[in-house]
Amino acid sequence: MYTYIVRRLLLMIPTLLGITLVVFIVMASAPGGISAQSLVEGQNLEPQAKKALEDYYNKLYGLDSPAPIQYLRWLNNVSPVGFTFDEAGNLDGFSLFKGSDLGKSFRYGRPVTDLIAERVPITALLNIISIPIIYIIAVAIGVRAATQRGQSFDVGSSAMMLGLWSIPTMLTGVLLIGFFASDQYWHWFPTSGLNDRVALDMVFLPHWGSLSDILILIFSVLFATAFFIWMSRWSKPYTRAACFAVIGLLAGFFMADALPEKEQGLITYLMITSLAAALFGAVAYAQYSVLRVFFMGLVGLGIGFIVAFYFQEGPFVRGFLLDRAWHLVLPIICLTYGGFAFLSKLTRTAMLENLLSDYARTAKAKGVSDNDVLWRHVFRNSLLPLITVSASLLPSLLGGSVIVESIFSIDGMGKLAVEAVKGRDRELVLSITLISGLLTLLSYLIADLCYAIADPRVSYE
Amino acid sequence: MSSADTPTARSAGASYGKKIMHDVFSRFGAKLGLTWIAVIAFVAVFAPFLANSHPLLLSINGEVSSPALSFLTSGDVTVLGVFICAVALYFLRLSFTKNIVVLAVVGGGIALLSIIFVNPPQLTVYEQYRVNESAANYDWVIRAPIPYSPKDYIREQGDTGLEAPLSNEHRSHLMGTEENGADVLSRMIHASRIALAIGFIATGIALFIGVILGGLMGYFSGVVDMIGMRLVEIFEAVPTLFLLLIFVAFFERSLYVMMIIIGVTGWPGYARYVRAEFLRLRQQEFVQAAIVCGLPLRSVLFRHMLPNGMAPILVAASFGVASAILAEATLSFLGLGLVDNPSWGQMLNQSVQSSTFNWWMAAFPGGAIFLTVFAYNLIGESMRDAIDPHLKRKS
Amino acid sequence: MLLAVKNLKTYLSSGAEVIQAVDGISFNIKKGETFCLVGESGSGKSITALSIIQLIPKEICHHPAGQIWFDYRHNDGTKEQVNMLDLTGHPQRDIRGARIAMIFQEPMTSLNPVYTIGDQIIEALQLHWPELDYDSAKQRAIEALAQVQISDPEQRVDEYPHRLSGGQRQRVMIAMAMACEPDLLIADEPTTALDVTVQAEILRLMKELQERRGMGILFITHDFGVVAKMAHNVAVMRNGLIVEAGSLQQILRQPKHDYTKELLAALPENMIRTRTESGEGNRQTQATVENKPILVAKDLKVHFPVKKGLWARTASYVKAVDDIDLTICEGEIVGLVGESGCGKTTLGRALLRLIEPTNGTICFAGTNIVPLKRREMQPFRTQMQMIFQDPMSSLNPRLNIATTLTEPMAIHGIGSNQEERLDLARQMLIRVQLSESHLWRYPHEFSGGQRQRIGIARALVLDPKFIVCDEVTSALDVSVQSEILQMLLDLRTERQLSLLFITHDIGVVEYVSDRMLVMNEGKIVEQGLTDDICHTPQEAYTQQLLAAVPRLYG
Repeated sequence: MYTYIVRRLLLMIPTLLGITLVVFIVMASAPGGISAQSLVEGQNLEPQAKKALEDYYNKLYGLDSPAPIQYLRWLNNVSPVGFTFDEAGNLDGFSLFKGSDLGKSFRYGRPVTDLIAERVPITALLNIISIPIIYIIAVAIGVRAATQRGQSFDVGSSAMMLGLWSIPTMLTGVLLIGFFASDQYWHWFPTSGLNDRVALDMVFLPHWGSLSDILILIFSVLFATAFFIWMSRWSKPYTRAACFAVIGLLAGFFMADALPEKEQGLITYLMITSLAAALFGAVAYAQYSVLRVFFMGLVGLGIGFIVAFYFQEGPFVRGFLLDRAWHLVLPIICLTYGGFAFLSKLTRTAMLENLLSDYARTAKAKGVSDNDVLWRHVFRNSLLPLITVSASLLPSLLGGSVIVESIFSIDGMGKLAVEAVKGRDRELVLSITLISGLLTLLSYLIADLCYAIADPRVSYE
Repeated sequence: MSSADTPTARSAGASYGKKIMHDVFSRFGAKLGLTWIAVIAFVAVFAPFLANSHPLLLSINGEVSSPALSFLTSGDVTVLGVFICAVALYFLRLSFTKNIVVLAVVGGGIALLSIIFVNPPQLTVYEQYRVNESAANYDWVIRAPIPYSPKDYIREQGDTGLEAPLSNEHRSHLMGTEENGADVLSRMIHASRIALAIGFIATGIALFIGVILGGLMGYFSGVVDMIGMRLVEIFEAVPTLFLLLIFVAFFERSLYVMMIIIGVTGWPGYARYVRAEFLRLRQQEFVQAAIVCGLPLRSVLFRHMLPNGMAPILVAASFGVASAILAEATLSFLGLGLVDNPSWGQMLNQSVQSSTFNWWMAAFPGGAIFLTVFAYNLIGESMRDAIDPHLKRKS
Repeated sequence: MLLAVKNLKTYLSSGAEVIQAVDGISFNIKKGETFCLVGESGSGKSITALSIIQLIPKEICHHPAGQIWFDYRHNDGTKEQVNMLDLTGHPQRDIRGARIAMIFQEPMTSLNPVYTIGDQIIEALQLHWPELDYDSAKQRAIEALAQVQISDPEQRVDEYPHRLSGGQRQRVMIAMAMACEPDLLIADEPTTALDVTVQAEILRLMKELQERRGMGILFITHDFGVVAKMAHNVAVMRNGLIVEAGSLQQILRQPKHDYTKELLAALPENMIRTRTESGEGNRQTQATVENKPILVAKDLKVHFPVKKGLWARTASYVKAVDDIDLTICEGEIVGLVGESGCGKTTLGRALLRLIEPTNGTICFAGTNIVPLKRREMQPFRTQMQMIFQDPMSSLNPRLNIATTLTEPMAIHGIGSNQEERLDLARQMLIRVQLSESHLWRYPHEFSGGQRQRIGIARALVLDPKFIVCDEVTSALDVSVQSEILQMLLDLRTERQLSLLFITHDIGVVEYVSDRMLVMNEGKIVEQGLTDDICHTPQEAYTQQLLAAVPRLYG
């Protein structure tokens, strides 16, 4: 096993070399090549001053050397094993523990390592929250679709997931911000960034003014959630749907009421209330109890919170944690909804294949209950392709966060990448390529190792 | 000749490929998707006749002229020519390869001819038609259904030109206008060309590279396989979007460059599929039989292996077209897309730039992207569903 | 009566079609009795078994008529006759595994690969005896493994299924089935996928366990040899109906129904008997064969490297074919037998250079073909052909039969234009007992037997002198098999063909081949005239192999 890991790590090196080489070649062969031109453009200087400034930058960043030399020099800087140079730029010696220096960014003038160290945690935060959400919902839907093959849930969820996947992230982002985070419609969510400036000084946890406020909060949340969960378990779907649709009607009414004066009109009221009623009714009518209970419970939770806040008297401090969570809601929605389709399809296919397998039949013949066969035998085996696919989830999420970060003005790696590329910032582009390549290859390795743990047939000797 | 040998008997056997195509398109999802794509294709081909500020036909003092026709560009003519050729081929029912060859030849010929002969006048003043019409200078005028060109910037003095749908009493803009006053619907119609073109051509390039490399890797294994897999890994290790960003930002922003770039970054997926299929097929007994019969390599590869391995690739290609369209939209949205002609992604970008949120500027182009991508995804899904049961038969 | 099936009907519906899989059958099984249900593929015997234990998904099956009465022994000792078709929920699950157990055909896939075999046996135990704690359950599991004669059960109990061979996995399946001491064991073709020596052991094991426990066995098979070994009573099924039933001796020696007689006559054992009795002598004995060798292989080796370690260095070799000498004469049929993994398929392919030999020479009509380049090999390709095992994958699904048959002809210049070639193809189809109209159809429109005939036609179309037949009848029903074997023998006489007949079925080899080679682990263990080897085997391995074959009579 260890030789396998070592071999994989060693094999990463040529791949990373290849990636950076390809990127460098693209940069160097582009019209204009890599030069300090972009730094200097846009400033109102005389041609001579411009030229002098350009020369200065070229010298500073070594942009005047031919392209292969630039690449080799960069390579030397990055690798922990290499040549060292003294102050004047003369060859000093060869060291095995030089350490890795990613260089300085042109645009920001700061060391790349600092920039990346600042941004990576933010992108990581977005992704780490997204991955479990995607997996849990996709698996829930996929398993249900497999057991209900060909029936309404299967066909319906498949179409819906496909539709969700087809909606471009930019559109969702723009629409979400436009409708829910702007003054023109509802301003329920913040427009941009990860925190309000005020929140940076706040205490971490939320803070209520008085004890009665906390009691009201706990009481209303518990009551509302319990009530709705109880409602979701009523046996007759029509009564459920009707009651919940009425709640939806009220919710829609309040929502339409919250619109600014300009947008309120009879049509808007009708549209929103009927949409809300229909949506709530459909959710309550659904046969899939897990999803139904979950959503109705969520609605209960929400209503409980809203009621509690409505009635609270004392001061309330949001706290850093809640503030961040509030800012994260819209970006996470944008990031996750596209991932459901692929994973749920995969789960469904794997489950269907395994449901027809011989060992599932053996388990049934032993007298194992249908539910246990489903989860203990079939699902356990269906995990395997899911693990394999999780490796490629990270690169796609990294890509997805590019758009999301740009729309929501979140300062993460994605946004950094776009700016670096636009600004032709050689160091930054190469470093980001290196880091994302490294992360991707590492995630492949981890996925393979997890697979080896999950599947006893596979052993890397 | 025996009676069992007539030409009808010869084509009576239900060819495997035809059977699968029939299966795929009998599903509801595929029908829906195909309908939408057909609509978009129609719109894209006939765009200069659907949305144009130049009237289709006008008569001044008894003289009939067609400004729309005289302002057609060589691109318009080529597209129209290829479309007519494709329709004709559909009715002729030639074999698949012959179809492609004829299309390519005719397309190339028309393109060449139109570049040489079609020269629309350089200067276009759209306002003249409206002025003349209101001044009743024309005997009669037949305008396009949407009488605005994508670059017809209608601005009142001092106004932004931005209008919500159907808000103007004098002119009807079904989908409103953007900031400079150009009609959104017209821009969308003309942008559909770019969406379709990028979808097909980029995927075509990716397929071409992927199939060749994947096939070589799958058939020859050994060193070829090792090098090929390293290449695949390199291209896959960087998130596609980063790679696209890097490529696009450093090269100029022309349509052709974008198509090539999206194609060049998309090939690893197809290569993997082809390689996996070829590895599987090499062990299939009919391939072994072909080798034992001494069939030449090209027959083994292209007649025996490739047609049987195309199924998952076609599925992937359908999804690939969808993601190519999304890729272009994303790039345009990030400001790295085409500058000159409008594309749906670029229109989305525009909607973000303005300070107020104008929902029609985002919803319509975004909706168009959504519907097109959804259509391709539906077709891909139907293909996948139709092909799977054929591959795995369980009694 | 332990199990009484009365007029059972099971209809399967897929989409609009309804298949009458089982159309009204009745039989009884007593305690301690082995009841064999025999039939060809599609006769409905497996569906019957699945119906008894109700394992067919409810969505696709329904029973328009019939009852299955089972003598249900409750935990407190009381007995109750229950109709299996009416049971649901807890009693159904209780019976499954604890009172009626089932083992299946494919041992390689019937065990869950992610759990240890111990855990899977313990699962069955704890389901039916919930008071059992983990350690005592594990102890019982070890005992069960010991009972089915798995060596080192204490170690093996913690192993994963992929570490066990097919025979061992089937033993584990039996152990799992027997662990809860069922009254009835349903065995659905349990030994079909196993080697003949392993099969003999498993059958012996099952008989022992039955005698010890006094349980009833419903044994489903297509192999009359197995029936002869195991059954007390037999029923022959065809198209969902039982055509004849009776005791073992009645069915084997005095079959009444035509279908039963047909089936028995088609068995290689009986075909040999008929042939010797009628004195036809389809066999060319050593005296009549001209003794002109057409294929001579010397020191043939095919070694596959095994790569290990950090640098994937070649650590050792898998010696699939290890120093083989082989001679085949004109007009001769040589049988190549061996168990799975012995290398016979590799040898067959190496002779045709589908797999490149690592070393050695193969002389065809005097020329060594091993070092030849592609173009030099072309003329030899018409002389040496191959017929494959799996009718489902041996034809290109995209091409119609006409193209499949005429393409090789066109490449080698047989026939001056397409019309001539089509004519030749037509004649070939008629020769393999298909009709001319089949020329324009596609493979998916044909049955397995028909596809195999097309495969033979394809091999013959180039007029070869030597054909390798790689398990050509292993995937076919016994009646179709006898027709194909007869056809091959006729073709041999007509065209002076030499055949290398690779198979694992000793009965077929006895019937078809003149000379015989026995292969084991890449080496030829024994060779000689078929009659000699089958009646007086010299080597221990051959003796073992022959002793394991289940014979019909005695």
